[in-house]
Amino acid sequence: MSQLVGILVRRIGISVVVLIGVSMLIFAIARIIPGDPARIALGPNATAEQIAKLRGEMHLDENIVIQYGFFIKDLVSGDLGTSLYTNRPVTLDIAQFLPATLELVFLAGVIMVGLGLPLGILAARFRNKWPDHLVRALALLTVSAPSFVWAVILMLLCAYYLPLFPIAGRLSDIYEIERVTGFLTIDTLIAGNVAAFLDVWHHLILPAVALALSGIGQAARLTRANMVETYEKPYIEMAQAYGFFPHRIARIYAFKPSLIPSLTIIGLDFAAMLGNAFLVEAVFAWPGLSRYGVNVILRKDLNAIMGTVLIIALTFLIVNIIVDLLIAVLNPRIRHSTRVQS
Amino acid sequence: MKLKYLLGSVVAASASIASAAFAETVLRLDEVAVGELDPAKASDYADSILMFNVYDTLVLPNQGGPGHSGHLAESWSSEGATFTFNLRDGVSFQSGNTMTAKDVVYSLDRAQALGSGLSYLFAGVSAEAIDDSTVQFTLGAPNAAFVASMVRLPIVDMAYVEANKSDEWGESLLSGTSAGTGAYSVVNHNPQEETVMAKWDDYFLGVADAAPDTVRLRYGLEAATVRTLIAQGEHDIASQWLPPEVIKALSDNGAQLLTETGTGAFYFKMNTTKAPLDDVNCRRALASAFDYATAIRMIAITDDVSAGSPSTGAIPVGMFGANGTNMVQAQDMDAAKAHMAACSYDFADYDIEVSWIAEVPLEERFALLMQSNFAQLGIKSHIKKLPWALFAEQVSSPENTPHISQLFVNAVTGDPDTLLYGMYHSSNPGTWQSPEYLNDAEVDAFLEAGRAAGSEAGRQEAYAGLNARLMDLAATIYGFDRQSVFAASNRVRVPAMTDPSMAFGLDGLGFSFRLMEMTE
Repeated sequence: MSQLVGILVRRIGISVVVLIGVSMLIFAIARIIPGDPARIALGPNATAEQIAKLRGEMHLDENIVIQYGFFIKDLVSGDLGTSLYTNRPVTLDIAQFLPATLELVFLAGVIMVGLGLPLGILAARFRNKWPDHLVRALALLTVSAPSFVWAVILMLLCAYYLPLFPIAGRLSDIYEIERVTGFLTIDTLIAGNVAAFLDVWHHLILPAVALALSGIGQAARLTRANMVETYEKPYIEMAQAYGFFPHRIARIYAFKPSLIPSLTIIGLDFAAMLGNAFLVEAVFAWPGLSRYGVNVILRKDLNAIMGTVLIIALTFLIVNIIVDLLIAVLNPRIRHSTRVQS
Repeated sequence: MKLKYLLGSVVAASASIASAAFAETVLRLDEVAVGELDPAKASDYADSILMFNVYDTLVLPNQGGPGHSGHLAESWSSEGATFTFNLRDGVSFQSGNTMTAKDVVYSLDRAQALGSGLSYLFAGVSAEAIDDSTVQFTLGAPNAAFVASMVRLPIVDMAYVEANKSDEWGESLLSGTSAGTGAYSVVNHNPQEETVMAKWDDYFLGVADAAPDTVRLRYGLEAATVRTLIAQGEHDIASQWLPPEVIKALSDNGAQLLTETGTGAFYFKMNTTKAPLDDVNCRRALASAFDYATAIRMIAITDDVSAGSPSTGAIPVGMFGANGTNMVQAQDMDAAKAHMAACSYDFADYDIEVSWIAEVPLEERFALLMQSNFAQLGIKSHIKKLPWALFAEQVSSPENTPHISQLFVNAVTGDPDTLLYGMYHSSNPGTWQSPEYLNDAEVDAFLEAGRAAGSEAGRQEAYAGLNARLMDLAATIYGFDRQSVFAASNRVRVPAMTDPSMAFGLDGLGFSFRLMEMTE
């Protein structure tokens, strides 16, 4: 247990340093993007005086180091400034858009793990037989097309030709749900509205599947490859020689060691979905943070860019910490090496 | 038994009629994100739709013809640079407060203080409340376009803002709630997702029963999503930004096409400070070589509806000074060769840079068309894709401004002054509208005369002169007069966008929901 706490503390320390680095990098990069943020924000008809006034308010005429100092000062007090894109506080925008994306990404992640790993195990267990061929073909198909292609295909198949799922949004117009947490799966329960709760899930399924599909293929292929490699290890041969049941060998002796590299990649995939969700959000008119992030970059909305990137980076780091802890739990050698280092 | 069935049928029919009578009608439409609700910051199309429905202005453009009529104002008069408006009595804001002249003064002061949106229209203007129902505006100089600019001064409920604001001008408040006299009030607003509006039954002009009860203005829907939604009967009016082929596909599937004949055009603007385009004959050669007819075919949606009409000159048809529709521009390669021969530069020494705005893919097609047209004269050109932000930055200096820039520009008030002054007056060089860097005393004089003229005849004369002078200078290739096209379901009737006698001639005003009729 103390080894895990040690790993956690070390990872949090590293994450803080990474976050500071990311904030510096993005702060600089955002200012290199062509275009004057004040001019873009005020619109094409703004006068030179109006632009100069806004530049002054945003400290854009100051040295970049001083600008960064203002940013950190505001950040410490929980103020990310005002978005020039929505004309609202960035914290309000993030609070409104982040839950939609997290809900989508979380379900996509669950689908990715819930389908990808069993398919990989199935393929490895029946390697070079028809289930293996089938899984590999499906995995190749899902990996080779990007999420937005799947989004359009699924929308046409499951919402247009076969109207099984809704086309756009998070909740049907007939429901008015008070936003408490922003997570509609939770807010509908707080409101005690079961019909709305089911409607939220109905809206979630198609975009989540579209987002998860390429991850499912990748997880299945990776798990299969790792397990096939493990199956060739001497201890598996020994287990087979002892006459252990094949499903026991697969579940206990082959799967667990094969999971560690898969878990690392799945963790990265899961976090990367936050950024990749943009096109799926666009196709399904999903009011999420990824879409917001792309729009604010196109408009050079400096405050919103910083807020969005920091939140995505933070989520990425949290997922990585969880994955590291899981790997440490699964692999005693990592726990041991940590103890030796410390 | 028969009686039982008959009774059952009657009950069922009654229930059906009753439910139809009380069923709420919902209009669903979309626009590009974001929707700016604060009327002082409104500038885009989505903002205009919100502004025209949630707020009212002192005047409105006449439907189906030129000029303006009173709206919140009953009448007005002018004397030199002073305009006096008499307000309509008994108009209430959605809060219940009565609208007075103080609200008008506050709205102007607020717009000027925030300095966003279209506030530049009111630079140098001051207002004074003479009494509760009389407001007087004083301008720096006489301006015939001032009454038209009033369509961009939405009147805000001062008392409501002052009572509920959390910052000096209530910016936070008005970015999320409505404080107008408009026919629709805001129920819910998320600038990236959707604005939900409800019909306000106490509107001072009344609202027809057939007008939608609820309006859902969605933002940022993808073309594929809109196409599917309309086909499934879950959407009513698509934005004008759909690709022409998608609008055509929707029309082929039974959607109606709504049009808004705007007060703008599509322009190819030539940098008159950069060789070889600082020579008028070189510019004339390019203008003559452009294939106007193909450009029109490229924007055709169906045999009858197009996203534009042929250009007849420097001023769009319908505005003061426009040429007749029989003066359509056409490619003339012989004239182009003659101008080229008169040009003091040898085009072989130059590679003409044709830019297009990355956010408007249609412009790439026009750039390719130009390249092909110029190649017929042996003129080398290359195409450059520029994101809008970079373009706006580059045109601020003549050296960085491309040889040719493509732009859609429209008159934000419907008056030619707001279209032409910003583009061509020498006091406004190097803005996104004026990458020509035109500096011509005659043009300046015509623009000033058009602004100062005291009569319609005077304005007509000034702008006709301007039109002729601009065509002679050939600083711009006038691609086509713009028309916005919207695919819509048959659940809604929009007279202002289907019947020319009901059209407003101002972008966005056709989306006055109170004038729409839901058929289901």
